[in-house]
Amino acid sequence: MPGIWIYSEDSVVVRQLLTAGQELKKTMQQPVNIITLNAEDVQSLAATGADKVFLLKGNNPWPESYAGAIADLLDKEQASVMLVGATIRGKDIAAKVAANLKAGLVTDALSVQYANDAIETTRLMYGGLAVHAEAAALPALVTIPPRTFIEAPDIGGQSEITTVEVANEDSRVTISNVCPIVREGADIATANRVVCVGRGLAKQEDMKIVEQLAAAAEAEIGCTRGISEDYHWLPNERYIGISGQKVKPELYIGMGISGQVQHIVGIRDSKIIVAIDSNEKAPIFEAVDYGIVGDLYEVVPLLTAALQKK
Amino acid sequence: MQKLLVCYKWVLDEQDIKIAGDLSLDTGRAKYKISDYDKNAIEEGALLAEKHGVSVEALTFGTASVKQSLKDALSRGLDKVYWIGDAASEQADAFVTANVLTAAIKKLGQYDLILCGEGSSDSYNQQTAPRLAALLGIPAITFVQKLTMADGQVVATRKLGDCIEEITVVGPAVISVLPEINKPRIPGLKQVMAASKKPSEEVKISDLGIAAEELSPKVRSLALKGYVMDRKKVIFKEANQADNVAKLVASLAQEGLC
Repeated sequence: MPGIWIYSEDSVVVRQLLTAGQELKKTMQQPVNIITLNAEDVQSLAATGADKVFLLKGNNPWPESYAGAIADLLDKEQASVMLVGATIRGKDIAAKVAANLKAGLVTDALSVQYANDAIETTRLMYGGLAVHAEAAALPALVTIPPRTFIEAPDIGGQSEITTVEVANEDSRVTISNVCPIVREGADIATANRVVCVGRGLAKQEDMKIVEQLAAAAEAEIGCTRGISEDYHWLPNERYIGISGQKVKPELYIGMGISGQVQHIVGIRDSKIIVAIDSNEKAPIFEAVDYGIVGDLYEVVPLLTAALQKK
Repeated sequence: MQKLLVCYKWVLDEQDIKIAGDLSLDTGRAKYKISDYDKNAIEEGALLAEKHGVSVEALTFGTASVKQSLKDALSRGLDKVYWIGDAASEQADAFVTANVLTAAIKKLGQYDLILCGEGSSDSYNQQTAPRLAALLGIPAITFVQKLTMADGQVVATRKLGDCIEEITVVGPAVISVLPEINKPRIPGLKQVMAASKKPSEEVKISDLGIAAEELSPKVRSLALKGYVMDRKKVIFKEANQADNVAKLVASLAQEGLC
């Protein structure tokens, strides 16, 4: 029976995707089913109002090893749509499932709806410069970033639960360990104020300038990709940008950030954007409400002091 | 390990793209480049090839313009580039791209390791590597930040949050690499000159025996619009930074933020 299927290795994300799934159900008139690998979550997922919950059980604990099993299930059930949480694991598995099913897959969709016998989506392109509206023929897969939708409230009741034993061992692949579920960036994604640092900061010891401003502004600290992923001055979950966190604070203050589109994408829902940078031609100044051209080592301590006085 | 393959994409440089008044994209001044993270994949292939004394080749699928990428690619430590320049690439989605690359790879021979970037800088679909693996029937390890090779196996390291996964794969595999994995070399004059002597070979889609439905995209484009922000763009330009800061704080107070 065709249906709208939802999968994430993270049950919190499953609940978020269920909101999108329930919307699709209204227009597609098809059941919404959940696929999970987590036996301990089955009962609570069965109370969400989904039509069916499928628990996949295999000997291989690596979530990525379930791609074949998921594809088989969707094929057998003639699925119309699958929504997958756009985590690293989700994007990996969704693409493999799509290949197995010879289906289209839209990555990191911002919106998803059913129209004209297709799944219509929007997503960013060119580093965030543009929004691309697309239509995916059925069966279609879509990966959706965590926190795009709010968690669907439990409707209660009890979905039909089916356990499917799967053979997912692969002697070619040995894993050292399975990393636990990561919920990255909760602090920064929900922060009301953000202070963000970029490559204009010369050395790690200078982070205290950033910390002092953040304290004075009562803000969380974020950074551009290089600061976390190249320099490791901050953990990856502090990276704000197209492949990192998206923030929606009332106040964003960026320092030493040139303002390339891949970073701007992560901050563009901020209410007020402020930037301090030494290069007056930096693209960041096209994206600000207020800006100061200057040496951050001079300006930021002045700003900190001024905010402390208030 | 005898033969490595890197897949790369020749893309418009997004930094050259302008948004017109009607929000359409103006690509008139945009130059092409090798997609940023694909340079990391090429670099990783070149480093492994140099370290282990094996060959590393590249494969690229794009429009006819893809021929312009050869010199740059070959100057980065590759032994040979196979290129497919076909109008089909204009509407190709990840489904079509993977079908074309897979057919080409099967025709070109056995590769022990296939490297891709995490995602392309234009569409950033992040699907090529896992799709290739599924179609070739070999494992894919994605979002890899460190890679080592020894005795017919690779060890790929991934970081998920604060935790590391080390995955060992015996036999051929597809790997997608994060930009953190290395710093791509900037080819020197010697490498650029040597590139013109290195081999490249065109592969025609019509020679690959791909069924028509495999070349027909499943995801089609409806509209592409620039995203424009409407910000105040007030820049404080007093000679004295203390004055600029005072004005900024006054503005923030007016916004109700302090």
